[in-house]
Amino acid sequence: MGRNLTLENLTKRYGTLTAVDRVNLEIKEGEFICFLGPSGCGKTTILRMITGFETVTDGKVIFEGKVINHLIPQKREFGIVFQSYALFPNMTVEENIAFGLKMRKMNPKAISKRVDQMLDLVGLRDWRTLFPAQLSGGQQQRVALVRALAPDPQVLLLDEPLSALDAKIRVRLRAEVKRLQQELKKTMIYVTHDQEEALSIADRVVVMEKGQFRQVGKPIDIYKCPSSDFVADFVGTSNFFKGLRTHDRVQTGPWEFEIAQAGPSQQGKVVLAIRPEKIEVFRPGEPANHLRVSNLVPGKIDVVTFLGAAVRLVVNINGEEVISDVIEKEFEQRGLKQGEDILLYFPPEAFLVYPEGEVAA
Amino acid sequence: MNPPSSSSLPFSRDKMITGIAMVLFLAMLTFFLLYPVVDICRLSFLKEGKLTFENYLTYFTSPRIFRSFTNSLYVSLLTMIITTVTAFFFAYGLTRTTMPGKGVFYTISTLPLIAPTIIQALALILLFGRNGLITRYLLGTDWNIYGATGIIIGECLYCFPNALFILYTTLSAVDTRLDEAAQSLGASALKTFWKVTLPSAKYGIASAAALTFNLTITDFGIPVVIGGNYSVLATEIVSQVFGLQRFDLGATISVILLIPSISAFVINYYLTRKSYALISGQARPFLQPSRPLKKWGFTVYCGLICSCILIVFATVFLGAFVKTWPYDFSLTLKHFDFPSLGAHAPLWTSFWISVLPEGTFRTMIAYKYAPIWTSLLVSIVVAIVGASLTLLAGYIIEKKKPKGEQILYTLSVLPAAIPGVVMGLGYVLAFNKPYFFIYGTIWIIIINIVISNFTLGVLTSIANLKQIDKSIEEAAVSLGSGPVSTFTKVVFPLSRVAFFSTATFFFMRAMTTISAVIFLISATIKLAAIEIIFLDVDGRTASANAMCTVVVAIVVGALLVMRLATGRSALGGMVSSKQPG
Repeated sequence: MGRNLTLENLTKRYGTLTAVDRVNLEIKEGEFICFLGPSGCGKTTILRMITGFETVTDGKVIFEGKVINHLIPQKREFGIVFQSYALFPNMTVEENIAFGLKMRKMNPKAISKRVDQMLDLVGLRDWRTLFPAQLSGGQQQRVALVRALAPDPQVLLLDEPLSALDAKIRVRLRAEVKRLQQELKKTMIYVTHDQEEALSIADRVVVMEKGQFRQVGKPIDIYKCPSSDFVADFVGTSNFFKGLRTHDRVQTGPWEFEIAQAGPSQQGKVVLAIRPEKIEVFRPGEPANHLRVSNLVPGKIDVVTFLGAAVRLVVNINGEEVISDVIEKEFEQRGLKQGEDILLYFPPEAFLVYPEGEVAA
Repeated sequence: MNPPSSSSLPFSRDKMITGIAMVLFLAMLTFFLLYPVVDICRLSFLKEGKLTFENYLTYFTSPRIFRSFTNSLYVSLLTMIITTVTAFFFAYGLTRTTMPGKGVFYTISTLPLIAPTIIQALALILLFGRNGLITRYLLGTDWNIYGATGIIIGECLYCFPNALFILYTTLSAVDTRLDEAAQSLGASALKTFWKVTLPSAKYGIASAAALTFNLTITDFGIPVVIGGNYSVLATEIVSQVFGLQRFDLGATISVILLIPSISAFVINYYLTRKSYALISGQARPFLQPSRPLKKWGFTVYCGLICSCILIVFATVFLGAFVKTWPYDFSLTLKHFDFPSLGAHAPLWTSFWISVLPEGTFRTMIAYKYAPIWTSLLVSIVVAIVGASLTLLAGYIIEKKKPKGEQILYTLSVLPAAIPGVVMGLGYVLAFNKPYFFIYGTIWIIIINIVISNFTLGVLTSIANLKQIDKSIEEAAVSLGSGPVSTFTKVVFPLSRVAFFSTATFFFMRAMTTISAVIFLISATIKLAAIEIIFLDVDGRTASANAMCTVVVAIVVGALLVMRLATGRSALGGMVSSKQPG
């Protein structure tokens, strides 16, 4: 088995409320796993059951082939990084890092060597004698990261570690965490509600909702082939249309879209999803003859938002809002403007089709 | 959104340690708090070994004793009204006007806390007594202040800071933008005050009133010195027990006193919670400059009240140093040579004998100052033990949340509801037994003071621990730290300031408390604060003043040491987390 961490039918109930509902997952040694979901979905509860701070109602947490449900947190030797950093305010940077080593009764020489090593890992050697309050948020979280890594934990658990930081520092630290993980080949379990963070950092992403796993997979698969309309909505941005399907046609509002999805053909009520960057924009009169007329819809640009490399258009089609992303360069060249009448094209192969029901779009 | 914190963590050793501590605390509070009080209730229903209501009948049918009940209510209600109103406007001045000298006013208003309550009575007697400076010497009138008037004025001065803290916190928490909004909608200043300011502070006002009522009805020091023949419940208990050896009637009056004092405490407790719930976390906008009339009106008003407080202290200090008040104002130290009262403090005595040269000075310090040294020793022990125990109890209640945590919390908060005199009598009844070996030693006094003041210590500790992020402890645990090292290396260092301010509070209470310990002193073990009363009763008023001065000096000394040690004012940190700007 190696140092694999397995969750088997793991369940947590608070009275009648089920926070985590029979989840199963095998995390391989050295893997970077990310739990992604909206707040209250149970992702932090899973993390806390792995750390031992939360009791397990049902099911098992298995590490190295042994059930560790009843092992106290001190004995699990898992490192934890908290959202609030949780540095000891009464200790300096180096004392913070040395704390876990002292608790494991390492000899002083080995401790100071290890502390140096850790400080170098995040480039904070010059800050060693300062107290946490004297550091910026980003620096504090770096200290918290190496403090957790110092005792060489079997697994590192990170609970929304970057949520309290500014957007720019967040992106930089995210890269640093990824680099550390690749260098140290440490198993990391990372909890976040930020889908961009999850997709950019993890080997595998677990999308959670209401205490259950909705999809487990590589970031690219989750983005390209969301298994449900919830995932399609939560990971990235999607436009949704409710409709009635007959073979490769879906009737939604006044339109009948042609779709080109293989696989089990759900008939009847469905939800169509399409990513904003997949929708093509034409000005009236531009050549569009090669396109399927059924998927060409007239609309009017309501709102224009610059996102940087792309421009986001909110287009009103027959009273419904559709989001469409256009590359900035293209937007400039074609001189698209707010209030303008345009045509939207929904390529049949870009539609994802889900049965209607479980999640409202 | 984090799930509710779980109470059933699988830390076996941690759980065991918490469990043991919890049982010890419950045992301690049951034995030293509940048992004495229950014993009093039991005795009040007994007459020659039989269960009866006779004691209550005796109390309510003998007008001479029953008077103490109506007297107590009269005095407490009047004090409550006067103190709440004056303290409200003082707090208003501090929070809602741009008058100068707010810091000075605030500091002076806290002074009554550092002295025994009798200081108010001593000063009033010096100024308005039979030989009062103002009544006899300046006005030549026969009117004097003994009786209800004296008690009420004294209690008002003593209760003032306590009421002020509540009102100050309330008024600084209520958003002043509400006032501004009302005024921008066209309400006049007076109308704004009546329709917006006052209603928004209603819980704070009621809570301050309830607290004042509780403090007054349970106080013993002021009525015993200035009451004269005007008996109140607290003094009646003591005179029934000491004067007439009527323990049963003392117990009965204690139970009667418990009813209004516990009610007032419960009301205060719930209203404080309500009033804190109203506090908005929003930052207060800049106060617009007050109109000159308002500004200077409040300055004069606050100045007057502060002068009264300062005059009390100045009078007693002066009274300690002049030959014969109010006729001969030449200075002397002779009143500090206290009459030998038979008190013993053997350790201190041998200490002073070994360090001082022989002579009358050594005799004075080594023998006659014995009550002071006993008080000092008791206060130091109480400070350390009280602060440690309340920190631990707070930690268990706030962070560990074991089963039965609510019971521990209730028992910890209860002491504030029980009048000192009742606690003292309860200790006599419960522990004055031959097999109870610590009775008659300083240890029973130490235990009594720690238990009587447990409430504020625990509440301070809880408030402080609430501010420590739960993750910090979890971080320590995840790094391999056990329950003991988590507490000593992380929790305790982060609670240091709260620990010191609680220790200061316990020290102050031990130095100045009178009501409970008056039952527990003996012929050889005496305390400085109690000596003030005995000296005064003996007619040695000047020596009483001197003793009071010594007590205040020791408390001020302790406050200064604490300030140096922690770099902040212990008094300010303890009574209120917010200092005026």
